Amino acid sequence: MPGIDVAVRQILIIILGLIAIYAALDLFWFRKKTQKSLYRSKALNVLILLSILTMIIVSARLFTLPIIIQILLLNTVDLSILILATTAVVLIFKTSVTTNFAQGMMATFGAFFAASVVMKLIAGGSTNMTLILFSGLFAGIAISFLLGLFIDVMIIRKGKNVNSVGKQMITMGLVMVIMGIIPVIFGSNPIVLPAFSVDVKIFNIGDNPMVIPVQNLYAIVITVIVLSALFIALRFTKWGLGVRATASSETVASMMGVNTHVITAMSWAIAGGLGAIAAFFYASMGTQVQVASMVPVQVNAFMAAVLGSFGSFGGSIIGAILINVFTSIAPYYNGTWQLVIVYGIILLIVLAKPLGLFGKKIAKKV
Amino acid sequence: MMKLKNILANFKKQFLSISKHPYFGFIVLGLVFLFALLLRNMGLLTISVINTFTLVMIYSVVAMGFSLLLGFGGLASLGTAGLVGLGSFIMGYMHGKAGISFTATIAIAIGVALVVGLLVGFISLRIEGMYLAIITLGLGEMLRQFFISYDTFTGGFTGTSLRSFQIFGKLFESGNDNYFNTVYIIIIICFILAMVATINIIKSPTGRALLSMKNSESAAQSMGISIIKYRLLAFVLSSVFAVLGGALYILHTKFSYPPQWNLSYSLDILAAVIVGGAQSIYGIIIGVFLIFGLKVSVLNYIPFFSNNPALIVIFNGVLIVLVVMFYPGGLIRLLQTSWYKLKIKLAKLKMKWRTYRYGKDDQ
Repeated sequence: MPGIDVAVRQILIIILGLIAIYAALDLFWFRKKTQKSLYRSKALNVLILLSILTMIIVSARLFTLPIIIQILLLNTVDLSILILATTAVVLIFKTSVTTNFAQGMMATFGAFFAASVVMKLIAGGSTNMTLILFSGLFAGIAISFLLGLFIDVMIIRKGKNVNSVGKQMITMGLVMVIMGIIPVIFGSNPIVLPAFSVDVKIFNIGDNPMVIPVQNLYAIVITVIVLSALFIALRFTKWGLGVRATASSETVASMMGVNTHVITAMSWAIAGGLGAIAAFFYASMGTQVQVASMVPVQVNAFMAAVLGSFGSFGGSIIGAILINVFTSIAPYYNGTWQLVIVYGIILLIVLAKPLGLFGKKIAKKV
Repeated sequence: MMKLKNILANFKKQFLSISKHPYFGFIVLGLVFLFALLLRNMGLLTISVINTFTLVMIYSVVAMGFSLLLGFGGLASLGTAGLVGLGSFIMGYMHGKAGISFTATIAIAIGVALVVGLLVGFISLRIEGMYLAIITLGLGEMLRQFFISYDTFTGGFTGTSLRSFQIFGKLFESGNDNYFNTVYIIIIICFILAMVATINIIKSPTGRALLSMKNSESAAQSMGISIIKYRLLAFVLSSVFAVLGGALYILHTKFSYPPQWNLSYSLDILAAVIVGGAQSIYGIIIGVFLIFGLKVSVLNYIPFFSNNPALIVIFNGVLIVLVVMFYPGGLIRLLQTSWYKLKIKLAKLKMKWRTYRYGKDDQ
């Protein structure tokens, strides 16, 4: 292939070497053991860890550590967006057992509403920009929350006997519906959504000055607050218990007295709200709200969920972090082939661990 | 006089027996599309309708391959767009730029499809279900990035265009009716051949093995069906259909540019297969028409929709949602059941008429 740099070639050679090591170990050692699968999975875990470490070491030879930290700091807003979107996708997957293709569109709807509220407030003569943007954000979250609630109660719940591919199709149809509704409600003119702040903050780590945009700080703080609230709710409230029960088996949960309807509806609503925050930051990063803007984020969120495992929130967040690290470092190696490199790495990891890095195999009854 | 009646009766009998043959419907469909071309050449149909028919035929070829994967193999894949794009670029580059002959290009395209299909098939042996769908989505995105970046092959963002093609020693230049008619006839032939191939695969042991694999893998394995063989076969077949569809696409539209082969195209193919009915050829054609052709051929002529183009998208979306929610077997199932109900109603009416005409049957 044209234009592959030395570092990428080194990474490829290292990965191929690790695969060869695994094959050799499997051929000459594990095959003779009685507990083959245990040995194999342990060796895989070690090798994947090794490969990620070698990638970092090889990249550190190209950059110095402060430069890597600087690159990652600049990409924190992408990271927050990706984590929020991934959590939303996983939340819906856990309760409704489907991948929600409408996630991005629900989020974009919220961002459009937020942007139009912000425009109205600015036109109304308000001057406190932070207050305006926060009220816009909350309006967007509220409308996406209601949209998610509406979608589950009116559509997904009615299609109980539809299989999971069918549910995927329903969400695809919803993509089209929302895509058509947005220009009808908000007009076809592009709406501008300003950022919280265009300043940058400079601070020192050791002797090295670091730069971080203030917008990124807002994104990080809001994401951390929202996600910790969500995880506390999942861990300690009755709703969280219900989500976990529904995730393991919806029928059994409803037989045990869990109101699965409310659980699922709330999951859709919260996923909508999380998406709205993500879309708000994505839109204010690119200055304009566009209908199809959330599609690449959504694809990355799916990939992150696959990488980390659809089954666990923590795993999928780690998947999102890994994808963010890969996507932020890859352009410095090779600008044109970055997507191929990142998805290739994910594909290799998922081939080694088919249920994701943190997925647990559930024994199926035949 | 008696003899003539006999001959007629015999003819009718023969016709009925022929019309039961599965190929009969395919050939009739092909003739209908050919008749549309005649009407267009007489000036009765607009070119947009013919274009819609062409796209419906091309995408039906792709969707039939996809239904072998989804409707029979039970394997969801979202990388169709990448394969269709690959086919179109192979045709555009090999035949249009490098000057390799038409048949050799088709052979190369099928070879590439075999390799890609085997690759995805091997991946599918390890990754299953929703994970497979998303990994194939990633593969599709990788292919799209490959098209955008590798510009000596695809022409980058500007894309590839095909000015002329040569088949059986005859050169066809784009831009005149001769080119248009030839391509249309080639596409009809490919469409019929694809339908024939699909029904032969479905009704053969291969199709039955795929179906059993979809319903229960363990049961299929215990009956002696090799999962590896049939999974690889399903992926290879579907990628061959997709690549051929791409080659036909660039013959028809004369250009192909990379950003067009994105996720939404794969999702449209998936929607067409699900909405129409994944296990029936006519269902797939209906689904493809609804998703790709309804807008151009019907809705644009209704003033309510042509004044508000956003409503067409909403209409399509609502249609998909309603069909999936209420008719999980697809529209073809709805048509079949309603035809059956109509038949029963007609039979009852006939009985009523008879009792009225001849009196009640005492026994």
